[in-house]
Amino acid sequence: MPYNSNSGGPWGGGGGNRGDDDQNKGQRPPPRGQQPAPDIDELMRKGQEKLKGIMGGGGGGGNGGGGGAGIGKGGFALIALAIVGLWGYNSFYTVKPEEKSVELFLGKFSKIGGPGLNFAPWPVVEAIVLDVSSERTENIGVGGAGRGSQGLMLTGDENIVDIDFQLVWNIDEPDNYLFKLENPQETIRAVSESAMREVVGRSDLAPILNRDREAISLEVQELVQATLNSYESGINIVRLNFDKADPPAQVIEYFRDVQAAEQDRDTSEKKADAYANTVLAQARGQSAELLQQAEGYRAQVVNIAQGEASRFIAVYDEYAKAPEVTRQRLYLETMERVLGDVNKVIIGEESGGQGVVPYLPLNQLTSGGSN
Amino acid sequence: MKKLPIIATVVAIGGVFLALSSAFVVDARQKALVLEFGDVKNVIEEPGLHWKIPFIQEVVLYDARILSLDTPSLEVTPKDNRRLVVDAFARYRISDLRKFRQAVGTGGTSKAEGRLVSILNAQLRAVLGEVDSGDILSADRAELMAKIRDGAIQQSLNLGLEVVDVRIKRADLPEANLNSTFERMQAERQREAADQRARGEEAAQRVRANADRQSLELVSSAQRDADIIRGEADAESNRVYAEAYGRDAEFFNFYRSLSAYEMALKGSNSSMVISPDSPFFEYFVDPLGAAAPQ
Repeated sequence: MPYNSNSGGPWGGGGGNRGDDDQNKGQRPPPRGQQPAPDIDELMRKGQEKLKGIMGGGGGGGNGGGGGAGIGKGGFALIALAIVGLWGYNSFYTVKPEEKSVELFLGKFSKIGGPGLNFAPWPVVEAIVLDVSSERTENIGVGGAGRGSQGLMLTGDENIVDIDFQLVWNIDEPDNYLFKLENPQETIRAVSESAMREVVGRSDLAPILNRDREAISLEVQELVQATLNSYESGINIVRLNFDKADPPAQVIEYFRDVQAAEQDRDTSEKKADAYANTVLAQARGQSAELLQQAEGYRAQVVNIAQGEASRFIAVYDEYAKAPEVTRQRLYLETMERVLGDVNKVIIGEESGGQGVVPYLPLNQLTSGGSN
Repeated sequence: MKKLPIIATVVAIGGVFLALSSAFVVDARQKALVLEFGDVKNVIEEPGLHWKIPFIQEVVLYDARILSLDTPSLEVTPKDNRRLVVDAFARYRISDLRKFRQAVGTGGTSKAEGRLVSILNAQLRAVLGEVDSGDILSADRAELMAKIRDGAIQQSLNLGLEVVDVRIKRADLPEANLNSTFERMQAERQREAADQRARGEEAAQRVRANADRQSLELVSSAQRDADIIRGEADAESNRVYAEAYGRDAEFFNFYRSLSAYEMALKGSNSSMVISPDSPFFEYFVDPLGAAAPQ
C-alpha cells in the first residue's frame, strides 16, 4: 500500500499511516513501545513555552522580578523533569520469556531483543515485540473464510474426500517474520490448503480413509515448510493434525453400508457354521443310536438263542440217558397241564354207530369257553 | 540588545523546523519514492534515515514486503475438454519502483492487483489448457505451477512487480459435476456392499450343503453297519439253534411240539372234544393199557 506523506513531515506521516495499517490488518500482533509521533507544531509550541519561561524569568526582573523569576525557574524545572520522565517511560520496554523484540534504528533493523528490560531510546529506536514461541493454530476446512464446500478435496482416483485439518505454527525468526510477508497468516492458510490438496490429489481414496494419515500429514507439513522457507518467512511449522478425513456427507452412509455388509457376510458365515455343527452333531448322535440298537438286538437274539439251546441240550442229555421213560414222562406232564385247563368234552366212539350225535353249538362253546 | 536573543531563538527554531522537514525515515518494511513536482527524483530501497529538499520534494512510501493476491475461481478447459474450476494465489513484491509508479500512477496496489489478476488468469488458461485434466488433478502440480509462475514473472516485469510464487490452491470438478461424482461413489459402494453380502451367502450355503451331505453319509453308513450287525446276530442265533437242535432232530420235533401245544392251548378259552382213544387215555379204560393185547 503506498503511504502518502502528510504535510507534517516524516514522523508525522509515518506514524499516522501506521496507525491506519494496524486497524486494517488486525491479525498482526500489536507493536508495543510505539508512540504516535508528535506533531511538529506540538514540538514547536513546547519549545516556545520553555523559552518563554526563560525569557519571562529574565525580562520580568524589573517589576515583580524576584517572584516572577522564581516561578519561571521552578516551573521550567518541573516541566523539564516531566519531559525526561515521559521520555524514559517511552524508551524502556519489557520482553516476556516467550517473546522476542525487533528493534529498528531509524527504520533500519538493528537487533533482536531478548527477555527482560530493554532500552530503545525514543524517537530514534522503535521496538516491536512479538510472541514467538506460543503456538498458533490455523483451522482449515472447517467453515472458515473461503468459498463453497470448504473441506471437500479431489483424490487421485477422482473420488471426493472431506478433510478438516489444523496447522500449528510459531515464529522462528522474528525479523524475517516482520519484514518479509505482508500477511503471514493468510499466506500460511493459502499455502497449506494448496499443499494438502496437492498431496491428496496424488493419493487414492482408500489409503486416506484407512489411516494413511500419518504419511500424508508429514508430506504436507514438509511441503508447507519448504514453501514458507522459500519466502524467507521466518515461520516454523510445529505440526499438522487431521481433524477429520472422511467420505463426504452425501455418500458416507454408503461407506458405512459397506462395513455393515462385511459384518453381514461374517454373520452369514458364522450362522452357517453353527448350523453345520448342529446338524453334524445330530447325525453323529443318530449313528451312535442306530449302532447301539443293533448291538442290543444282537445281544438279545444271541442270548435268547443260547439260552434256549442250552435248555434243550440239558433236557436232551437227560433224555439220552433214558429215552423211553423220559419221552413218556414229558408227554404225560405236558398233556396233563394242557388238558387240565381247557374245557373238555369226551365222547367215546364205541357206543356203537348210534350213540350220541355230537351237536356242537359252537357259539355257545366259545362264549362258554370264555368264562 | 533585547531583541537579539529573540531573533536567535527564532532562527534556531526555524533551523530545527527546516531539518525536520528535510529528513525522513524509511522503515525496514518499506520502500520510498522521492518526487519533485510529480517527477521521480530518487528511489529509496534501503531502510534508514534519508534526506530530501524540504517543501519542494515529497516522499511516497510503499510496502516492501511480499504481498498476497488471490485469484477468484476460474473455469479452465484443459486439452481433453473436461472443465475444471481452479483457484490460484500469487505472492509478489514491488521490485522496480520507478516502473511501478509509471504503470499504476497513484492507483497503487489495488490497480496493480487488477492487472496482475488478468495476467495470472491468462497464464492459468494457457498452461492448463495444454494438458489433460487428469494431469492437473493428480499428477505433478508442482511442474505446472512452476510454468505458470515463470510465465507470470515475465509478464509482470513491465509493471515493476516481481512474482515470487504462484500456486494452485484448488483444482476441482465444477460444482455441477459434484453430484455425478457423488453418484458414482455411491454406486461403487453399493456394488461393493452387495458383493460382500453375496459372498457371505455363498460361503454360508456351501457350508450348509456340506454339512447336510456329511450328516447323510454318517447316518446311512451307521444304518448299514447296524443292518450288518443284525444280520450277523441272526446268523449266529440260527447257528446256535441248529447246532443244538441238530443233535437229534426227532427229539427236537417232539420236544418242541410239546411246548407248542402248551403255549397254544393255554388258558381256559380253548375247548376240546376228545376221544378216549387218544394215547393220553391209555390207562383210562383199561389198567393194563390200550396197547395191551386183548
